[in-house]
This record gives sequence, C-alpha cells and structure tokens, in this order.
Amino acid sequence: MNTAYILNKNHLSFWLRTLKSTHELIAPTRDVSGDIVLTELQRMHETALDGPALMPSPKEFLLPQMEQLFCYSEEGIEEALNKRPRVLFGIRPCDLSAIRILDTFYLGKTKDAYYEARRSRTVLIAIACNRPDPTCFCLGLGTGPFLKSGFDLQLTDLGDRFLVETGSETGASLVTAYPHIFTEPKPADGDDLYETRLASQSQFEKRVNLEQVRKHIQAGAVSDAFWESVAVRCFECGGCVYNCPVCTCFNVIDRAASSEAGKRVRLWDTCMFKGFTRTAGGVIPAEAKINRTKRWFHHKLIHWPEQFGAFGCVGCGRCAISCPGTIDMATVALRIKGESKAEEK
Amino acid sequence: MNKISTTCPWCGCGCGLYLHVENNSITGVSPSRNHPVNHGTLCVKGWNCHEFVQHPDRLTTPLIKEGAALRRATWEEALAKTAAKLSEIKNTYGPDAIGILGSAKCTNEDNFVLMKFARAVIGTNNIDHCARLCHSSTVGGLAAAFGSGAMTNSIDEIRDARVIFVIGSNTTEQHPMIGMHMLEARDRGAMIIVADPRRTQIAQFSHLHMRHRSGTDVALLNAIMNVIITEGLVDVSFIRQRTENFDDFEKGVLAYSPEVAERITSVPAEDLRKAARLYASEKRSMLFYSMGITQHITGVDNVRSCANLVMLTAHIGQPMTGLNPLRGQNNVQGACDVGALPDVFSGYQKVADPASRKKFEMAWSRPLSAVPGLTLTEMVDAIHEGKIRALYIMGENPVISDPDSAHVRAAFAKLDFLAVQDIFPTDTAEYAHVILPATTFAEKDGTYTNTERRVQKIRKAVQPVGDSRPDYDIICSIARLMGYPMDYRAAHEIMEEIAILTPSYGGILHHRLDAGFGLQWPCFGMDHPGTPYLHRKKFTRGMGAFIPVEFIPPAEPTDDEYPFLLTTGRSYFHYHTGTMCRRTITLEREEPECTVEINPADAKRLEVRRGDPVRVKTRRGSIEVKARVTTVVPEGIIFIPFHFREAAVNLLTINAVDPNAKIPEFKVCAASLEAVRKKPGTRPAPRLSYHEGMKQGLDLYIPPEERPSEE
Ligand code: SF4
Ligand code: SF4
Ligand code: SF4
Repeated sequence: MNTAYILNKNHLSFWLRTLKSTHELIAPTRDVSGDIVLTELQRMHETALDGPALMPSPKEFLLPQMEQLFCYSEEGIEEALNKRPRVLFGIRPCDLSAIRILDTFYLGKTKDAYYEARRSRTVLIAIACNRPDPTCFCLGLGTGPFLKSGFDLQLTDLGDRFLVETGSETGASLVTAYPHIFTEPKPADGDDLYETRLASQSQFEKRVNLEQVRKHIQAGAVSDAFWESVAVRCFECGGCVYNCPVCTCFNVIDRAASSEAGKRVRLWDTCMFKGFTRTAGGVIPAEAKINRTKRWFHHKLIHWPEQFGAFGCVGCGRCAISCPGTIDMATVALRIKGESKAEEK
Repeated sequence: MNKISTTCPWCGCGCGLYLHVENNSITGVSPSRNHPVNHGTLCVKGWNCHEFVQHPDRLTTPLIKEGAALRRATWEEALAKTAAKLSEIKNTYGPDAIGILGSAKCTNEDNFVLMKFARAVIGTNNIDHCARLCHSSTVGGLAAAFGSGAMTNSIDEIRDARVIFVIGSNTTEQHPMIGMHMLEARDRGAMIIVADPRRTQIAQFSHLHMRHRSGTDVALLNAIMNVIITEGLVDVSFIRQRTENFDDFEKGVLAYSPEVAERITSVPAEDLRKAARLYASEKRSMLFYSMGITQHITGVDNVRSCANLVMLTAHIGQPMTGLNPLRGQNNVQGACDVGALPDVFSGYQKVADPASRKKFEMAWSRPLSAVPGLTLTEMVDAIHEGKIRALYIMGENPVISDPDSAHVRAAFAKLDFLAVQDIFPTDTAEYAHVILPATTFAEKDGTYTNTERRVQKIRKAVQPVGDSRPDYDIICSIARLMGYPMDYRAAHEIMEEIAILTPSYGGILHHRLDAGFGLQWPCFGMDHPGTPYLHRKKFTRGMGAFIPVEFIPPAEPTDDEYPFLLTTGRSYFHYHTGTMCRRTITLEREEPECTVEINPADAKRLEVRRGDPVRVKTRRGSIEVKARVTTVVPEGIIFIPFHFREAAVNLLTINAVDPNAKIPEFKVCAASLEAVRKKPGTRPAPRLSYHEGMKQGLDLYIPPEERPSEE
C-alpha cells in the first residue's frame, strides 16, 4: 500500500547525499551547454527536475548501448555482471512504465542475467510530470503523467515541497529511515496534489488513441501507399529505436584481441536497418525501407499487445525528438487517424 | 556513469553528442537536445561513433619497419628515428624534399601544430591535406568571387528558406542533419530543386529534379542564368551596388540558351527555365553544393558559376540565402582555416604576402619560406620525380583516397622515409618506416570547425588506448628533438596561439566554447558573438566579382571501348577509406561489400543481374564488384563508392586535375563493365578467420558464391 510523505525542498540535497553514500546516484543534471542529461550526480544542487524528457531514456542504465558480457580466453570465461547498487532519481512515469514492460521481456520466462543483475540493484525514484512536453502523449495510455504503482518512490512537486509516495518496501526504507525530514502530509497537501494533477492533464498538447490506430491497421484500413509515404522519409538512423524506452533489441559480437582471447559484447540494434534481417545466405527479407518502417509500427501496436498485453509504446514522445524524418509514433498515429477519418466521410 | 559533451567525429554537420563512460569504457552515445545542428537527432554514424574507439585493432605502440616487417618500438626510439631521418633528409636535399600531410579528421590544434612544424621546423610550405580532394575548388573559386571560401549561411536558417537548390550533393546521406533541415523546410512549404544525375533521397523529395550528365554543371548553371537574365529576373540594384564585372560575364552567358544547354546536359530546356524561375523569384533561396560540383577538372569553374548565380539574384548576404558548400569531413573546414594548405598560414593569410610572413616569423622566430608548397596531388608526382624524399602523414590514407591508386602506391614505395601517424593500421601505413599511434576524438581535447564555420569542442572522455598519444603531442616531441622548442601543455594553449595569429579566430578560445555550442567564425575579438552569415553589407573582398565561365567537357570522354561514365562518391553507412566505419559492426553490416550501381536497362543489355559479380575497367585498372541494379543512376552512368579497400575504386579514377585547384576529377571517367562468369567448380581461396579478416579490414559477410561448398 502506498504511503505518502512530505519532503521540504530544502531537505532534498541532504537526502540525496545520504542516497549517494550507499548507491551510485543517477539524476538529471544540467550540462554547461544547457542540455539536461541523466548522469551520475556529483553536486546535489545541480540536479534539474524541471527539464524536458531525457535523452536517451533511462533504459541505458539497465541495458547499456554497449555492454560487455564476458571476457574469454583459454582459461574459460569471466562474466561481467554489473552489481553496483544504483538509484535512478528523477525519471519520468512513462520511463517507469517502460521499465515495467522491459521487465516482462527480460525477466519473463527466460531471464536475462545481465539485465537482472542491474535491475535487481536499481532503485527507481520517479518524478511525476507537472508540465508535460509538447511531444508527450502518455495520458491516453495510462503510462503517465502520474502513476499509482510500479515505482519505488514517486515524487510530486508541490511548489516548495515534494509529496513522496512509496511503492515498494525498498522505497519505503529509504524514507522511513529519515523521519525528521519526511513528515506526514496535511489535508492541504492532498488538495494541492489533486490540483497539480488536474493542471498537468490539461497541458497535454497531443491526444493519441493508439487503440483506435490498432483497430484501423487490423481492419486493413492502412494502405501500403501510406506506409510508402512514411518510409520515404526515413533516414535509417535508428534513432527511434535507440531512444525508445521500450525497444529491446540487441546484437551480440565478439571482439577478439587475439585468436585465443577477447570479449563478447552486446550492443543495441534496431529493426530499422537492412542488416537486421540479413540471413546467412545474404538474403535480406526486409530490404525495402517500407517493410522496416511498417514493421516497427506493427510490432509496437499489434504484436506487443498480443504478446505482452500492452502497447510497445508508453507515449514518451522521444521518437518525435530523435527522428530526422518526423515519422515518429505520434505523428504517424495521428496521420492514420486523420486519413481514416477522411475516408469515412 | 558519466556523460561527456563532445562533437561527432564523422561528417561536417558537426552534431553535438554525449559519450557515456563507465569505468573508462564507452558504453554509448546520445544526441544533444539543444544543439543548433541536430536538435536531439543523430544519423546512424553518429549513433555508432563510440564503437571504433576502443577497438582491438587500434595501434597501441609505435612500430618501426625492419626489413619487410614491422616491430614494436618505444616512443623514444620511434621519435628519435623520425627526427633523425627528417633532419638528415632536410640537410641533404633541403627542406622542400619533405612533404607533410595534415588531416581533416584531426583537430584544429593538431593541424595548426603540424603546419607550424612544416613551416617553422622543417622550413617548407609542402603541407596539404585531403581538402585538396574535396573542396580546394571552393576555397579557390570563392576566394576570387567573394574573398572567403566557406559556407555563407547557417544550418539553422535552412528550415525558413523558401527555395532550396541542391546541386551535386547527396545531402540526406552525406550531411544527414542538413538533409533533415531541408526536409523540415519542405514540410513548411519550401520548394526543392535538385541537380544530380543520380536519383538520391533528396531528389526524391524535390519538386524538380534535373538529371544532367556528370561534368556538365557549367552549361547547366549558365543556362539557368541565361534564363534569369533574358526573363529579367536579375536583381539590378544589387549587381550595381555590390558587384563588378557583370558586363563581361553577361556576354558569355547569353550564348547558353536552354536549348543549347539541353544538348550538352540532356536536361530538358523547359526544366532549366522552371529551375531559373523558381530560384530567382523567391527572396529566401539557398544554394547548396558539394563534391558533385568540386571534383571535376572544371571544379573551380563550377564553383564560380554557383557564385555568379547567387550574385545575379542577390541571394547572398542575408539570412536564409547564400552559397553553401557542404564540407564533408568533421574538420575539413578547420584544417583549411588553420593553414594545412601549401599557400596560406592560418586564416588564409598568404605565405607569399610579406606582411603575413613577417608576423609568423616574429611569432615563431624562424625565417619562413615565401614560395607556396606543393599540393597533395603534386606531391605524388614530385616523389616520382625524386624531388620529394620523405613524407610525414598525419591521419590520412592517400593510398585509398587519392585518384589512380597504383600511381600513389608506386610513389610511396619509392620514398626514403615515410612516417604515418594514425589510429588504425591503414593501407598507407603499409609503406611506412615508422608508425606512430595517435588518439581518437574520444581521448583528447581540441576543437573541430563544422561546415557552417562553427568551432566546437571535443573533450577527452576516456584514457588513450595503449601508448597512443594526441596528434599535437607527438608532433611537438619530434619538433623538440629537431631542436625547435614546442611545448604546449594542453590543447587550449594552442588555441590561444591560433587566436593571436589568426584574425578570423581572434575571439575563439576554449573557455568561450564551453558555454553553449561553440562560435562561428569570423569572430574577431573576445566580445565578438561570432558570425551566423557572411558578406553582410559587403563582400569580404569588397565587391563581388562576376567571373565569366565557359563549358569545358570532362577530361576523359566515353568511347566505344569505355562506354560508361563512371562517377564515385560515398555511401550513407560508410565514411571515406573505411578505417573507422568498417570496424563498426552496425555500419559494416548494412553495407559489407562494394557494389556498382547500374541502371536496369544497361544491366539487361549486358545480362547482369542484381548481385552478379562484374568487372569495371578503366585505362588505369580494373576491379571486381557486385552489381546493384537500380534506377538511382540513369542509363550510361555507373556509380561506385570509394570506401572499400578490397575493391578500391580509386584504382580506376583518373588523376586529371583542375588547373587551379589541383583537385582530381573523381566524378567522371570512362569505364567499361562486363559480367564476370565464374567457372563452376572453382574454389575460392581459404577464408581468413573473423579476427584476421577484421584486422585486414575485410568484410565479414561471405557472398554465397564464394562460400566453400559443403561436401
Ligand atoms: S514509440 Fe516513441 S513515444 Fe512510444 S515509447 Fe517509444 S520512443 Fe516513446
Ligand atoms: S528515427 Fe526516423 S529516420 Fe531514424 S530510423 Fe527511425 S523512423 Fe527512420
Ligand atoms: S549528421 Fe554527421 S555530424 Fe551528425 S551524427 Fe551524422 S555523421 Fe555525425
């Protein structure tokens, strides 16, 4: 059961410092250039919780873009499991929802030891979104901007203080250890919380109904000509997949230092590349760009729900930022909706 | 985990990105959200720029040639040997017997130190780099017309343009983030005109695509200007106030009616008229060009024609207009800016000019040569003639990148001494007597200047691999051994010297670059904010100069024996001679082997099917590649990218050069193509192991017909 506490903003740095003493503390930090990046927090006051969605998503802390799996030599192999305890502080509700989807993928029937090593030692502290970005569309998907569960802790900014909700025992233990800074909420705090949530919901610029889009596609209402018009704009950069907190694909390669020894690494891969489906015979089933772009949307909108009971998209809007061709999930979904509306008329 | 803000090491867009570092290994890359070029995006190369940094093939110790083999050496030994050899050759044959090649991949600081080394320590102006092969015609052509040879406007302006005219640039593939801005402009209603024989992705977005015959750009542009003049679309007041020599120029152009040009270029006269009207009738028209313009024996003429066009319609000196040469390499602009060229010091201050020379002599306390040095292409010939005895190459691979490779290889084999400083063993390094391991962009500090003149920082993210050292550091050590004091403790100290000696970099210092996303030169002083667009109010040289240009056909026309026009270039997934990208698994997997693009009609006639091995031959040599049957190329033209050492297209290209810029004509030569019919039952040579293969830069993918059969 969730319990709520109040944390005065003046006490945030103190609390973060205590977290840092036992964990690697990862938090949004403002770079000199003005970008906000998710990185190890050095000076507590540098954390920036008011910025836009982070690039790339926190997925990289559970599944790094390039990760060493093991070293091998004639003596055998030496696994490289990352066992460092970590706090991901200030991630967004959509990212948290995405991590829960990753969990079903990587910790389902077959467990991925490397993912598990990181995941089981990671504490997730989310910050609810008072000010969604123009690219966000989690609202219609139930993956944000405020969550009821799934987090270890969820913070909501109430101006001069945070409302802190616990979502797990680990989370609770990080709060109950400091009763002098985490106090009981007053009725006024509850009112403010409600007001904040209401205000946040009214700020969403995009409403995307993926369920409708899924139905359109399944009804065969989306033509290949449409997908062709999408595909021609693809720069084959892979950014949509690299940046997506839900995408899970990786490639495994050996980096031989000599003919006896080397290391095996895995690195992010994407279905947007021709080489992704290159077979041993040299045939590439998804050689045409249309087959690749179309597949990505189909996978997220049709196959994920079939397999995992949830869309392969949490509405974080990152693909909208990282796609040079502006053929991101929201844009394409809205176009599909628009076109099928036009047809109905 | 740490994230270090830096700049992409691949192309001239200069995207901002972060390297993610954990325990001294790079675990990933992410784009910068607020960077004015990429706004949170990266192309496939940018997303994968981390992989080669800590690759096992990296050079980790100095190597010295002994007999036919290379052996490991200490830095002391390798540096001493290099210094001794260079001194010996300098003393015996004079300083001009030594040639130095800088690198468009290295930082401004590296190149500045190298050019100082050439001029002050060796005492020669024989310094050049691969800009000779890409934009030397721009530097020369625009200097004459405007007084400054760089992209006039900024990438950020593109999205607000109304007309975008792209000639000879495969923008979405070679400058992806500039392509992104163009696409955005199109979405906002801009018209796109493309002149390119190939149907590239940007051509697919265009409203008008002119597929002229390679090498006929002057005729094409003259005809467009002819229409603009005859239809009264010129900006008369601009011509009067800001330019000179219009009358001479006009006379020349009037001979190129669209009908005349149609016969030369095979672009319908009506399309030429449309292009002229579109381009001239909007105020915010931007012109972009790249290698398709510059890599011809008429490279400088082509550039001049572009300059004429923008002046004719006053599309210059304002935001969202301009003449925008897209520079290919991450720092080719910077390497030129800091003087890795035979005739100029940093900031294009001429070595022949006594005042500039005096300034540098005072600063460096050495007498400096007033005679411009040899260009890259001339150096190769000079080696054959015995005039150049030693070469020092920093981060370049001329054996693959230069035209007529066989000629280059023969030259390098003749050298008394060759030192190569690089991150990977390259084909050029095979000829080296000493190989010095350098660091990559992720292991050193410095600056790159992107194509829009933005000077940006790169920052050290991880410790150098093995014993590798930053390029400038290696050169300083050799200079000291040769008796010249050169002590820079850090890259920013070099930048201070650049700023003092180079007016256009006068206000560019590292600490200013740290806040925000760099500065665009010219930036004259510490409080100068940088310059987003050039030639405001007046041209750098004063008046803009119209220069009449006549059409000259390519050096090697096609004939019965060599009926195809062979043109070369790059592919989206690869970069230049492939030393980095071909060790990046995601990039290599996309395009593991060299292919030749051929039109379906030609393929049908020659009975070539997709994937068939074909032999492409020119008067210089021949290579075997796979056919890619595609309508991207028109009939009669074939295209081969130059990244693949196992099928090096520069064995085929011609070393005919532009008389002014000495840029080779990579874009046109005559070739023949025939299918290779493999005899059934012939067995290919045994394949190398994965690792050996990678070491040699071979591809990992075995094409079906070369796989050993399974009996
Ligand atoms: S598909 Fe796009 S919006 Fe959806 S979760 Fe992935 S990156 Fe976010
Ligand atoms: S981000 Fe856009 S351009 Fe890049 S691969 Fe994805 S769909 Fe294509
Ligand atoms: S567009 Fe150029 S600079 Fe940008 S990520 Fe791609 S290669 Fe790097």
